[in-house]
Amino acid sequence: MSMDLLIAICMTVIGAATPILLAATGELVVERSGVLNLGVEGMMLIGAVTGFIVMFTTGNPWLAVFVAAIAGLLSSLIFAVLTLSLSANQTATGLALTIFGTGFSALAGQNYSAQPVELFRSIFPPELVGHQVLRLVFGHSPLVYFSLLMVVACWWFLNRSRAGMILRAVGENDHSAHSLGYSVIGVRYAAVAFGGAMAGIAGAAFPLLLTPQWAERMTAGGGWIAVALVVFASWRPFRLLAGAYLFGLVMTMELYSKAGGGPLSAIPAELWAAMPYLATILVLVLISMRRSGSTSAPACLGKPFIPSS
Amino acid sequence: MDANMPARLALEGITKAFPGVLANDNVSFSVQPGKIHALLGENGAGKSTLVKMIYGIMSQDAGTIRWNGEAVRIDNPKQARRLGIGMVFQHFSLFEALSVLENIALGMDAKIPSRELEKRIRAVLETYGLKLDPHRIVSTLSVGERQRIEIVRALLLSPKLLIMDEPTSVLTPQEVDQLFGTLRQLASEGCSILYISHKLDEIKALCDSATILRGGKVVATCDPAEETSRSMAEKMIGTSLADVEKNASRQFGEPKLVVSRLSTKSEDEFGVAVADVSFSVRAGEIFGIAGVAGNGQNALLDALSGEVRGADSEAITLDGHPLGLLGTTQRRKLGLCAVPEERNGHAAVSEFTLSDNSVLTARDRKGLVGSGLINSGAARNYTGEVIAEFAVKALGPEALAGSLSGGNLQKYIMGREILQSPTVLVVSQPTWGVDAGAATAIRQALVNLAAAGSAIVVISQDLDELLTLSDRLAVINDGHLSQPLDVDGISIEEIGLLMGGVHGTSQETRIVAGDDVAVSA
Amino acid sequence: MLQYRLEKRAEPSRIMLYAAPVLAVVLAMIIGATIFAAIGYDGIAAVREIFLTPLTNSYKWQDLAIKAAPLIIIGVGLAVCYRANVWNIGAEGQYVVGGVFATGVALATYGMSGWWILPLMALAGAVGGMAYAAIPAFLRTRLGVNEILTSLMLTYASVQLVYYLVRAPWKDPMGMGFPQTRLFSEAARLPTLIPGTIVHVGVPIAIVVAIIGWFVMKRSLMGFQVRVVGAAPQAARYGGFSHTRTIWLALLISGGLAGFAGMLEVSGPFQRLVPGFPTNYGYTAIIAAFLGRLNPIGVIFASLVLAITFVGGELAQTTIGLPNAASGIFQALILFLLLAADLLVRYRVRSVSTSPRGATT
Repeated sequence: MSMDLLIAICMTVIGAATPILLAATGELVVERSGVLNLGVEGMMLIGAVTGFIVMFTTGNPWLAVFVAAIAGLLSSLIFAVLTLSLSANQTATGLALTIFGTGFSALAGQNYSAQPVELFRSIFPPELVGHQVLRLVFGHSPLVYFSLLMVVACWWFLNRSRAGMILRAVGENDHSAHSLGYSVIGVRYAAVAFGGAMAGIAGAAFPLLLTPQWAERMTAGGGWIAVALVVFASWRPFRLLAGAYLFGLVMTMELYSKAGGGPLSAIPAELWAAMPYLATILVLVLISMRRSGSTSAPACLGKPFIPSS
Repeated sequence: MDANMPARLALEGITKAFPGVLANDNVSFSVQPGKIHALLGENGAGKSTLVKMIYGIMSQDAGTIRWNGEAVRIDNPKQARRLGIGMVFQHFSLFEALSVLENIALGMDAKIPSRELEKRIRAVLETYGLKLDPHRIVSTLSVGERQRIEIVRALLLSPKLLIMDEPTSVLTPQEVDQLFGTLRQLASEGCSILYISHKLDEIKALCDSATILRGGKVVATCDPAEETSRSMAEKMIGTSLADVEKNASRQFGEPKLVVSRLSTKSEDEFGVAVADVSFSVRAGEIFGIAGVAGNGQNALLDALSGEVRGADSEAITLDGHPLGLLGTTQRRKLGLCAVPEERNGHAAVSEFTLSDNSVLTARDRKGLVGSGLINSGAARNYTGEVIAEFAVKALGPEALAGSLSGGNLQKYIMGREILQSPTVLVVSQPTWGVDAGAATAIRQALVNLAAAGSAIVVISQDLDELLTLSDRLAVINDGHLSQPLDVDGISIEEIGLLMGGVHGTSQETRIVAGDDVAVSA
Repeated sequence: MLQYRLEKRAEPSRIMLYAAPVLAVVLAMIIGATIFAAIGYDGIAAVREIFLTPLTNSYKWQDLAIKAAPLIIIGVGLAVCYRANVWNIGAEGQYVVGGVFATGVALATYGMSGWWILPLMALAGAVGGMAYAAIPAFLRTRLGVNEILTSLMLTYASVQLVYYLVRAPWKDPMGMGFPQTRLFSEAARLPTLIPGTIVHVGVPIAIVVAIIGWFVMKRSLMGFQVRVVGAAPQAARYGGFSHTRTIWLALLISGGLAGFAGMLEVSGPFQRLVPGFPTNYGYTAIIAAFLGRLNPIGVIFASLVLAITFVGGELAQTTIGLPNAASGIFQALILFLLLAADLLVRYRVRSVSTSPRGATT
């Protein structure tokens, strides 16, 4: 395989992995606080459509990402109010958020289908971006660097900062945290809002990074794969990286198989299209086999917190 | 003492109401500097609610809290800690997956660098002669070590008042001794201690003064040294105690339940399994199993009831029939019924009606199902019978289990099993968290069932209860069961040592269940 | 000054249990109208077209019936499943695979006739759905893999399966290149109930399924087992009910019913397998199960309401130009509001004065 092709493949893998990585980083923080938000897919769709519309009307990708983050955050607040303030079932509410996001994005984007936008490209000098080898370092969209930065920041926050320790404590034993005087609901609101913003950005990455247009349900289950990745990563930030790039590789193979020729096209295109989902199941199976008995899931994950007074 | 010196803590007319209950009604008392003050009362007397208000977890509906003479508002635990109030909870507020150091850091309001914090922790440990490794993960620690985390966390703030909520319920007699030493040292340094308990002999041994709560009201404030355990118990309960009546000339029949070399594997990594347990119970006999919480009691109950199946068919036999490989349904059909410790969600489903809860365990022995369908009429009738026979306060068979008080639900559960006339009944903590009236009724029902010829196993952490009920008694420690001892002529020291896992040595203990202890035979 | 406080009820309110879904639908109409008015449509007309016109226009009743039927059948299965606290959200995939299996029988018996073909297709559909639901059941009970994620991932994969089948092996040779199977022969098409309408026998079957489901859940020991495992797994173990077996039961029932619904759809309204066969009934049935309070009889009414929004949504598209996505928004709003209104089942809202009694010091 030529050097060029190898680098091209790496670039594609990193690009394809980025939206999932962004969403999974957000969801990881949410889950460490003890909340299971299954609405990631819905929030991503809302982020994708708002990001697209802002990009289409203003042409400013920074603004598009910012507005998508706000939109994701706002939609996560619906979930937060229902599950945290009204102690509704988290699984059902997450599903509702995904259904809502699907409907909302289809409504908002109905006049924009098949309209092209610009991709959010690297901001480094063209000599570096176009360089045969150095583009591997400098040729990415700012969103890629942002996603990597967030993984590191998330690790630092959870393991090195006091606020992160409090967040873990809330996810580990909500009643104890409450009796020590920490605001369980407050911490969880903040975590859910962060997860929403990250999902919004992850959604915007689809039109800004992968396919420069809006299509209904364009995130195609990426939100669910992000939720699965958090399980795969055993709730540890750096393991998300490995998982996300693995999925990036699977999706890249699908792209190359479509391009035709070579051994990849011997397998039906539909099977390639189903591959990320089947790989998710495979990954979940593998992780559950390696982890015998003990789970590293936050102890309060998915359980509603109702203060005793 | 200087009479003009204000009390460290004074409560004046504290009142707190919950829907349908007045948890605290005009409660007033005070705690002096450097004194250990007991707050005494039955489960549900309002002790926990009261201290939650002192520690700022709840706020009172009416009344004033004075701190060193000044009226204060304590809106949250942070504020309480700032005043100098520390608290050690009954159910520890610890985080299993975090380290000791992180757990302590979470209890500190000031941001202290972890190295500095560790230094301070080691200093406190040294001052009070306590052992604890700051870097261990909490889930690997024993109950006593966990309590030490809570105590160190409170002591780091140099509190002026330390609240201890039922601190000894999970400790061995020896660990209790150690704790009392620490508390006396603290008091001698001027720290006041509010000590919550319902164990009368402990209060006599430790406390300078006591306030007794009943039904949310203060019924007496007294000097424990001048009271007998019985006189305090009667103030706490409000009536003179009814004793359990036992036929002195009772006879035992053939062995009904024979357990030989029963072992199970632990289900979760931190749990204790049952190891090589053997004992037998005769018809008409009550066999007691004592032990400190978390030493394999739950695993033993699961193994006996059939919730967890063993590998050896002959490990458990009933009238000679091997049961070891059977599930709960078959064991019940053959006459072995069981009641686990936890009422809500284990022995009963709170969201279900009492009738449905009867179907849960009595369906085969009482014919509540036929050809795959539930006979709801029969279920209602049987439930009505249980309610009437055991004086369960409930709206009827269609009342939700969750709407009953703890004592009434426990009476229903015990009645549900006892009225199935089991050959063998295994119960765990039959009167845990139950008011005295219900507890006596439940104990009497167990004695009567044995008198009718059933073999009964009672697993309990309440030594007094076991001494009242059992004919023979063994101690479970770390999944191992000691040799059974005859209850007549048993020595409390010996039991205490077995509970602590010490075998064969004799050592003086302070906790002696004297003749005047409440509710004894 | 007055403020409001939530107070836990001693027993869940039975009135609120039934009132909450109605309240949710009514509030969804109001909020939906406001949203559509805000983005420049006639909000009140939107609500009228979506919720009322399908009811007042008798031509639309048969549409309602055939749209509600699959929702009822899948929703009843999901209601049983969720009662057991098993979160099968891949009913759409099980529905699709059921349709695929039924299509397999229809294509294999192409040109044949006989009364046995349709029952065989129904059996194949149910088996297909069960087989597809057995994957998450196996992974959950053997390896502890979360069924939410596996059942959902399998749904995405099932859609690709349909695409593959209609593109390659099952493609209609006379279809002029369209990716679809040939039209089923007469014996593999679902008979209509009332001549001259599109109402097929699936409609009464759906009602029967719901009634049986209700009876099983209410009166049988099997239903009791599902309820007790869902409400309190430890108590279930104590009562002698196997958690593993209940998970299998729940997933097989919901998968089987979803697969059966897939067979009814493919042999009824579609009469051939097309790429557009996955119509999201499996997702909408999740809402039907919740809105019906996980009670099979409730699912009938909930499915009707959702069928109304489907039919009304299509109507509103042609009459007032409302976008296609509108009915989805209403459905999500209904579910959100139902989850919020559920608070009223467990709590009552009470006004309290903020100055505590006797706080005169």
